[in-house]
Amino acid sequence: MSQLYDLRLRIEENIKSSGLDPMEMKGKIGLRSGKLLALISATTPDDPQAIAKLKLAAREILNLNL
Amino acid sequence: MKWNSIRTKVLAALLACLVVGVGGILAMMHYGFERNSQALAAESVLSAQKLFTILQAREISKMTAVSEALIANPQIRDALASKDRGRLLELTAPLYAQLKTQGITNWMFHTPEPDMRVLLRLHNPAKFGDQLNRFMDKEVTRTHAIVVGNELAKAGFALRILRPVYDANGAVIGYVELGEEFGQFIHAMQQQTGNDYGLLLSKSFLNREMWAESSAMWKRRDNWNDNPGFVVADRTTDSDAIIRFQGDLSSIQGQGQVLERYEEANSVFVRGIFPIRDASGKTVGAMFVIRNISEFYLAMQHTQRVLVLLTVVALALGMLLVLMLLNRLVFRRLERIICIATRVVGGDYQSEIRVSSNDEVGEFELLFEQFRCVFVNLLASVSDLQSGVEPPLEDAIPLEDAIKEKSMSCV
Repeated sequence: MSQLYDLRLRIEENIKSSGLDPMEMKGKIGLRSGKLLALISATTPDDPQAIAKLKLAAREILNLNL
Repeated sequence: MKWNSIRTKVLAALLACLVVGVGGILAMMHYGFERNSQALAAESVLSAQKLFTILQAREISKMTAVSEALIANPQIRDALASKDRGRLLELTAPLYAQLKTQGITNWMFHTPEPDMRVLLRLHNPAKFGDQLNRFMDKEVTRTHAIVVGNELAKAGFALRILRPVYDANGAVIGYVELGEEFGQFIHAMQQQTGNDYGLLLSKSFLNREMWAESSAMWKRRDNWNDNPGFVVADRTTDSDAIIRFQGDLSSIQGQGQVLERYEEANSVFVRGIFPIRDASGKTVGAMFVIRNISEFYLAMQHTQRVLVLLTVVALALGMLLVLMLLNRLVFRRLERIICIATRVVGGDYQSEIRVSSNDEVGEFELLFEQFRCVFVNLLASVSDLQSGVEPPLEDAIPLEDAIKEKSMSCV
């Protein structure tokens, strides 16, 4: 499992537990990081730049440190 | 509040309009008040001058008529011809008491030229025998006709008529003079107009000692030292303090001039002045005019307050309306587009952007909806290529199904 996919799962888990609107939150993170979460799969190759952007977006939008 | 938002900028522009509007009204009202108070002062000076002229003409007519009756009396003529002061006083004293109540305060008989001395002063019988040598005296001896005009004596100013008295042979046997103190004019004017007046006399035509004597005689304060160039001979105000004039009386133009506006004890006044000339045409004094414009000032202030209030209310309502319209027509629709675009990126492929109007934002909504369809179709294509895409969590709409479904609706 790629690191990007692991990040996606953790973000989705956080959104679910927080009770926020999942579409809106994922949309904001997608727009902020430039990465569609729905297109990140277990086989998506890791890209350090994409990983950093996703972590930053999660921190800014969900206040989630990954 | 975002400082760089359109809402903030529009609000700031509307507030600026409000400030400019209120400022403009205040400036306009101030300008209007200045102009109107100046016009009121000019009108007060002009009307006072006209009224003064009318009153003078009326009093001259009255004194002329009285003098006609006097010189027609043979007993008075005989007493004057014989220079019998006692007889003259006996004949005229009862009449003087009556005339005095009608404003004729000065009454004199003069001997004929060449010396032309005062034979009798009805208003001061103990004083006689002096020569006055005034302009009017010279004129009446030169012309032997009635002379009228303002004459400034050493101690006061009066409107006078001076005429010769003839015997049966047509020879001049003396002169009779009647006069009215100027003070009564300003009180009559005050009663008619409601304005206040002050009579100023140039010191250069007065005698200091005689002014002190006349002040004592008329029971008025000796105000010689109050002003450098003139004295206040009479006034309708309670004190001299309100009569302030810095300048030379002889420099006042014939049509008068408006002085300054000033405020005192919650009242607003405008002042003006016009010259008073003697029989020879010299400017020997001036009439000071004071008009209370407090009522007008309060009315202007009330109008100003109403206008400012109306402007503030109108602009505040305008601001509210503009902001409501902007919110309804632009901001809420933009927020809706942003919300749907965000949700589409988040995986909600069901939401559509409805084109709510064919205005400018409506064109943007249409464009964005078309863009959304392209995006969903693109995702469907990508999804087809990525055979190993993991399904999203259970709360999300299944990606492939949703994309396929939506891509059909977008075709």
